[in-house]
Amino acid sequence: MPIITENITREKKTETDFQSPEVWTKVTGKAVYGNDFKLPGMLYGKILRSPHPHARIKKINLGSVEAMPGVYASLTGAELPERPYGIVFDDELPLAAELVRYIGDEVAAVAAVDNETASKAVEAINVDYEMLPAVFSPREALKPDAPQLHEKFKDNLAWERNLLRGDSDKAFREADVIVENTFTIPSVHSTYLEPTVCVAADDPYNGLIIHTAVQSPDAVRVIIAKALELPLSKVRIVGPVMGGGFGGRVYGNLKLYMIASLLAIKTGRPVKMQLTREEEFLVGRPMIAAEMHLKMGFKNDGTILAREADIVTDNGAYSAQAPWVSKTLSERNDSVYHIPNIKTRVRLAYTNKVPTGQYRAYGNQAANFATESLLDMGAVKLGIDPLKLRLKNCVKTGDTTVHGLKIKSCALAECLKAAAEEIGWYDRKKGYGYGISAAIHASGSLVFDKNFRGAAALARLELDGRISIFSGEQDYGQGAHATFTLIASRVLGISPEMITVYSRDTLSSPHSIGALGNRQTTIGGKAVQMAAKRLRELIVLTAADMLEDPVVMEKGTLRSASDRIVELPLVAYHYHSLTCGLSLIGEGRYVPEPSEYDETGYGNIAVTYSFAAHGAVVEVDKTTGAITVHKIVAAHDSGKIINQISAIGQVFGGTTQGLGMSCYEGYLFNKGEVANASLADYRIPTSLDVPDITPIFIENEDPEGPYGAKGLGEIVQIPVLGAVANAVADAAGVRVTDLPITAEKVYQALSGWECE
Amino acid sequence: MSEKITISFTVNGENETREAAVGQTLLSFIRDDLHLTGTKSGCEIGECGACTVLLNGKPVNSCLVLAIELNGKELLTIEGLSKNGELDKLQQEFIDHAAFQCGYCTPGMIMSAKALLERKPDPNDEDINEALSGNLCRCGAYQEIRAAIKDAAKK
Repeated sequence: MPIITENITREKKTETDFQSPEVWTKVTGKAVYGNDFKLPGMLYGKILRSPHPHARIKKINLGSVEAMPGVYASLTGAELPERPYGIVFDDELPLAAELVRYIGDEVAAVAAVDNETASKAVEAINVDYEMLPAVFSPREALKPDAPQLHEKFKDNLAWERNLLRGDSDKAFREADVIVENTFTIPSVHSTYLEPTVCVAADDPYNGLIIHTAVQSPDAVRVIIAKALELPLSKVRIVGPVMGGGFGGRVYGNLKLYMIASLLAIKTGRPVKMQLTREEEFLVGRPMIAAEMHLKMGFKNDGTILAREADIVTDNGAYSAQAPWVSKTLSERNDSVYHIPNIKTRVRLAYTNKVPTGQYRAYGNQAANFATESLLDMGAVKLGIDPLKLRLKNCVKTGDTTVHGLKIKSCALAECLKAAAEEIGWYDRKKGYGYGISAAIHASGSLVFDKNFRGAAALARLELDGRISIFSGEQDYGQGAHATFTLIASRVLGISPEMITVYSRDTLSSPHSIGALGNRQTTIGGKAVQMAAKRLRELIVLTAADMLEDPVVMEKGTLRSASDRIVELPLVAYHYHSLTCGLSLIGEGRYVPEPSEYDETGYGNIAVTYSFAAHGAVVEVDKTTGAITVHKIVAAHDSGKIINQISAIGQVFGGTTQGLGMSCYEGYLFNKGEVANASLADYRIPTSLDVPDITPIFIENEDPEGPYGAKGLGEIVQIPVLGAVANAVADAAGVRVTDLPITAEKVYQALSGWECE
Repeated sequence: MSEKITISFTVNGENETREAAVGQTLLSFIRDDLHLTGTKSGCEIGECGACTVLLNGKPVNSCLVLAIELNGKELLTIEGLSKNGELDKLQQEFIDHAAFQCGYCTPGMIMSAKALLERKPDPNDEDINEALSGNLCRCGAYQEIRAAIKDAAKK
């Protein structure tokens, strides 16, 4: 049935098909991941965590822990200066000083000769707690009499945004049809297969080196240097191979890194620390949960007039990127269609639960579930075909959206038509449900740092004629290195096999914002393109100087006007001798136009935007509620595809993760305690769950991205949720508004039973 | 550490005699004592399949087996698949089909596939999905993995 995989074989080895030679290390078991990494004299660290959701630490009795054989050091918050750090707000400490705010909060740590000794030592630490009242529901937390988590954040309100565009009150008065509903999305973990691990080493010459695989090593380095008051130039991150990231490892686990670093500084020995799988679920920064009350107004002909949203997102005990994720979740989706009037209130609340971070599509996938579900409810009420409703309202090239996003290239309508066609929208089979959904996502987000929007790269000609590319952007299997290689290969006109990309050492690569905001291809790739272009110019100039004759560069060879030929190694040696040791280095920078937005956030926030429409075909057993997802068609406008094999992989992977969020995944809590902190209980899709996935690329050239390309890695996950939700509703005749959509919930909706 | 027992076994075709701690898992023995770190650890409680190795030809989660159970048995890990620098057909097909991204599940996935092909040289989709149902791939490469195994079966 899934013939697409055979297509891949047939279309292999085209010029848009390249894999980094690292693949060889991955199939042979030779790739060195964080957990495989060891240093001589290395110690192992373990953390004592709070068993209570909210408590005051009265006393930590270390007892004779440090005297235990094999124990080298212990560490508590009392020894550390109270200097909070954070990503958006400074609301965390490496180890709790006085208060613990969730089950899992870091209280003390130990470094010992092995993991077993460290674990025993941690268990021997005795802590006296004074219990404090805790709050677990974000809506409860926002009430004035709720237990308070952070002094600085009154009523547990971490962040709030009230957004008004146009006049939504007037628009709703004028609307012919209004639909509204509440949608809930649980917290979800990106569940990379390799639990987070680091080895920290410190000495006066090298400074602090943290060996860990993280999506934004430079950002991590800056935060750690500041929090631990170390000179920035003496904090270095060196990355082993990363066992999955998916946005969940943009900052890795900062506390783990800091505690390992502090223990390494204290003991003078390298310290390795790894989270267990259970700890990953307890402290591994899942994406925020959200409750979204949405309302949409239409004209009878299907024109969307307005959207109102009241959204509460669940921060957990600490903030990380949750304000940014809440912002994307509450707003990005408004730009899929023309919605002239918008009124949004979003509040992020602290609760005594797992602190949050982010996952792949930054909340846009959660919003897709809610808004695309509501749109289909509107279509039913209007009596308009859901596809026609979307085509009537969707944005197009040249538009500026309601929030000021400038759409430079957009094939959303084509994506919608292609996805619909491929799932058989016009020729439906009886007994099946069909659903469709559309998405926009920033490709190359500019808003992480207004003063640092772009990226830089270096391209160096080696003495043997090979090219080394240095970039701070990260590859963890999604194919960034292969894409950069192909871009450099096209600029220089030499084979990809002659090019190697290095990105995992902050000492040798240019500073970068890292792998987030769909930046890698659009921004990082463009910097590589610029660097390769500059290197090409330098090579031609040097060869002309050598031959004392103008030269042209073709297929990695330089030919003079008088037909003399010189190869790259000779050019490299010539410059090397001339300068007594320097190499030809092309410096590339890509500095996008400033992102001008006003105090309401109106303005362009990314280099460009990717679009997608997914279609799903499902079956629902009406007696049991059981859902079978048969097919998902993923039609994407990511501009020109640079690396087909990686792009297809991203579609399969992102769609599978979207399916996981749609039907399987979500944190369950019992009084603040994670009730499903294992891979058996937090179920991610297995080989038995994945349907036939068909990728379609609508390849329009984007004017901004390198060789017309736009980002793909995040948007792939987004439209799955709406498509599956709509297909299930179509098949079952009832709608589940609470993710994940399980057989139990479908059954309850069908039988009219109230859950809980 | 706890009591140690001497065990004799074959690993990737070589005879070995070593000491193993009584409570030690096979996963820890493979990674820490035999230094074969191609076998990955993802959960240590038998839920992810990253540590899959073949014990007497059968796939096991090495985190759920005691090292001392290796005594008298044959162990095959990912390192034993390529011979003299030449990849096993499964390894080659996994590359050709881009049947992984981060690669963390790949050694375990390939070992499960190896056992499947030994048992069933011409598997269909259902056989493959069933055989791999204990190996999680969060990158979601299941479709490519299926294609890679089918092509390896043809060779």
